[in-house]
Amino acid sequence: MKPLPAALVTGPPLLAAIAAWSPLWLAAATAGAALLLAAAPPPRRLYAVTAIGSGLIVFAINPFVSVQGLTVLWQGPHIPILDTQITVEELAYGAGAGMRVAASALAVAAFVRLADSDLLLRAFSRVAPRSAMIAALATRMLPALERDAAGIVTAARTRAARISAPRTAAGLLGPLLASSLERSLSVAEAMEARGYGGADRTRAPERATTRREWALAVLGACALTLVAGGLMVGATDFRYYDTLGDPWQAAAIAGATALLALVATAAAVVRWPR
Amino acid sequence: MAALSFERVSYAYPGAARPALDGVDLEIEPGQLVLLVGGSGSGKSTLLRAALGLVPHFHGGELRGRVRVSGLDTREHRPGALARHVGLVFQDPESQLVMGRPDREAAFGLENLGYPAAEIAVRAREALAAVGAAGLAGRPAAALSGGEAQRVAIASVLAMGQPILLLDEPTSQLDPVAAEELLGLIVRINRDRGVTVVLAEHRTGRLFAEADRVIAMEDGRLTVDASPPVAARALATTAAWVLPPVTQAFARAGRTELPLTVRAARALVTAPPPAPPAPLPRADATAGVVKAHKRLGDVDALAGAATAFERGRVTALIGENGAGKTTLARAVCGLLALDRGRIEPVPARAGYVGQDPAHYLLHDTAREEVAYALRNLGVAAPERDRRVAEMLARLGLDGFGDRHPRDLSSGERQRLAIAAVTVMEPELLVLDEPTRGVDGLRKLALVEMARSLAADGTAVVVVTHDMDFAAEAADAVTSMAAGRVLSDRAPRTLLASGIFFVSQLGLALGRASQADAVALLTEPLEAAHV
Repeated sequence: MKPLPAALVTGPPLLAAIAAWSPLWLAAATAGAALLLAAAPPPRRLYAVTAIGSGLIVFAINPFVSVQGLTVLWQGPHIPILDTQITVEELAYGAGAGMRVAASALAVAAFVRLADSDLLLRAFSRVAPRSAMIAALATRMLPALERDAAGIVTAARTRAARISAPRTAAGLLGPLLASSLERSLSVAEAMEARGYGGADRTRAPERATTRREWALAVLGACALTLVAGGLMVGATDFRYYDTLGDPWQAAAIAGATALLALVATAAAVVRWPR
Repeated sequence: MAALSFERVSYAYPGAARPALDGVDLEIEPGQLVLLVGGSGSGKSTLLRAALGLVPHFHGGELRGRVRVSGLDTREHRPGALARHVGLVFQDPESQLVMGRPDREAAFGLENLGYPAAEIAVRAREALAAVGAAGLAGRPAAALSGGEAQRVAIASVLAMGQPILLLDEPTSQLDPVAAEELLGLIVRINRDRGVTVVLAEHRTGRLFAEADRVIAMEDGRLTVDASPPVAARALATTAAWVLPPVTQAFARAGRTELPLTVRAARALVTAPPPAPPAPLPRADATAGVVKAHKRLGDVDALAGAATAFERGRVTALIGENGAGKTTLARAVCGLLALDRGRIEPVPARAGYVGQDPAHYLLHDTAREEVAYALRNLGVAAPERDRRVAEMLARLGLDGFGDRHPRDLSSGERQRLAIAAVTVMEPELLVLDEPTRGVDGLRKLALVEMARSLAADGTAVVVVTHDMDFAAEAADAVTSMAAGRVLSDRAPRTLLASGIFFVSQLGLALGRASQADAVALLTEPLEAAHV
């Protein structure tokens, strides 16, 4: 897919994840981004696991580092540095922050899997070649990581390693990162060897925008307008501390539902058979 | 003006104890075809990188002396600017593909050089067609096999049409037919268009005689720089393993004539046809596949393949790129589930050394790397240390035990990966393209290792495109095409009688291996030898 329609469909959940406070909007953004990633071409699992895992970690940590909220749910023993008084507000804020992190990561992952990275590199290489190179390397990093991970696991299995053991699996992360960095260096070297970064770069003729891409662009633009409108009129606001506000406001319900509907439709368009 | 010139060039990578290039003086005239030979780590790849300014601009380190490309000093011009004059195909094809599709990959360099948009598509398509990769144009780059990726990488540099072309082991992953076509293409480009070509290669059989000059390197220095016949004479006594197999056989047989080509060897010797090979007696099978089917993506990688690998034998698994060799090898090692069919018998312990040695580098020292499998198997420390030391020595890595695996050259990594698996003493050992990036001397060591493991009762399988290596190492040859087994466990003399999947000695003398060829050349057979 061309980068612009991909950016337009993944932009609204990302914007909502970054700027909204309402749990309904955040939930809609998370669900929408997850649907888009599910509709994108594989590999997807590593992205999904990383995004959802990061969200869960934020949710789990927040109550122990935050000292706010009036509705005490549980009072634990005194532990230096950690706050062991858990409040409903802290849990709710943690859930919101977790969704924010997960939705952002899922939306970015969906963009990476949907957007044609070659076209992205072409689009930016004339104006910002270094940034485009980093973006190109980054968009290849996770698929390459997934392939390298499969190769490393196979190589470890053939050396009698039990990959199901958490310590063994964790021990493979360092080599995996080293492999991907080595690969990135090689790709960067190959790019330089073929004249990347020089002046007067031209572009090979590309195909025309498809009807699917136009449809996605329109859906994405509508969703973006909706999120921007919601932010401007305050429909995405919510109070977590000192006591929780009421999340079931009509504007929040309507806005979040509309966002999810638009993004889900976009995901369906992505998946629609050619 | 020289196309390439090196004036007293010395270079050391950052933090390296010894220089990778040491006082190199070299001038290459426009239109020359230069073959660069030498062992792994001798400085060939660094020399090619220096010619494009990647050393030192990309890698850092200290460069002394002066390198000029078409008169441009590489210290004053970055690789991006030098890329208009010189193209470089790197050793590892998978790591040099930048774009997501082959057609865009071929267009990438042209876009960077500012070619008009209308011309880009035509040149890219032509370059892909020239290396037999036109059919791959729209495929995802991630789905390409090693051989396919290598063709695309070469096409993407050929498309740019620079007057100087540098190639670092361009045929390491190609099957014999594709390798021959590619080398023929490179010679044509040199002869017809006057493109200066410098090609580093371990498999010298096809190009040695075609080159205008042969340059040998050792420890970063040029040891020989001469015409092919003179270089062959100089190398026959010091480094015969860099010579074409047919030249090696004559040198080993103590013959004064050193033919560099199949044709020249035939002119010297009329070999009597070898006795028709008797079928190999069947031995105990350690592992095998029965009616194996496996679909990978849109491709039937295995389509009813059936074979067995026998105890105490080295079996070469050969076939064109994409024939299903790696899939079969992985399945028989239990690393891949079949869609249909079965593994029978199932080996008690199987070891698989894949094509990318980087996947085997998990630890901080080479010693720990080799010890890893033994620790997983619960081998006690004294026994473990003994086996690790023995294995490192067997693979020529005894001085590397404390080195970080990622600091090793590609050939050294390859050997370390083999050591890391072989140390388990598996019942079935599969080596998938073990000669990739490995020099002739180390290939001989690999042959010895494979044969001694087989002598100890291991079923050894080498998946390879290197027919000369297969002819030396294997007892039996199993060939595959389109996911099926074409010939199952044929005697290795098959490699002397084939049409394309044949060793150079097979073509020249009708003998598959060096030992058979040397025996033929030394026997007092007046009638046979002219």
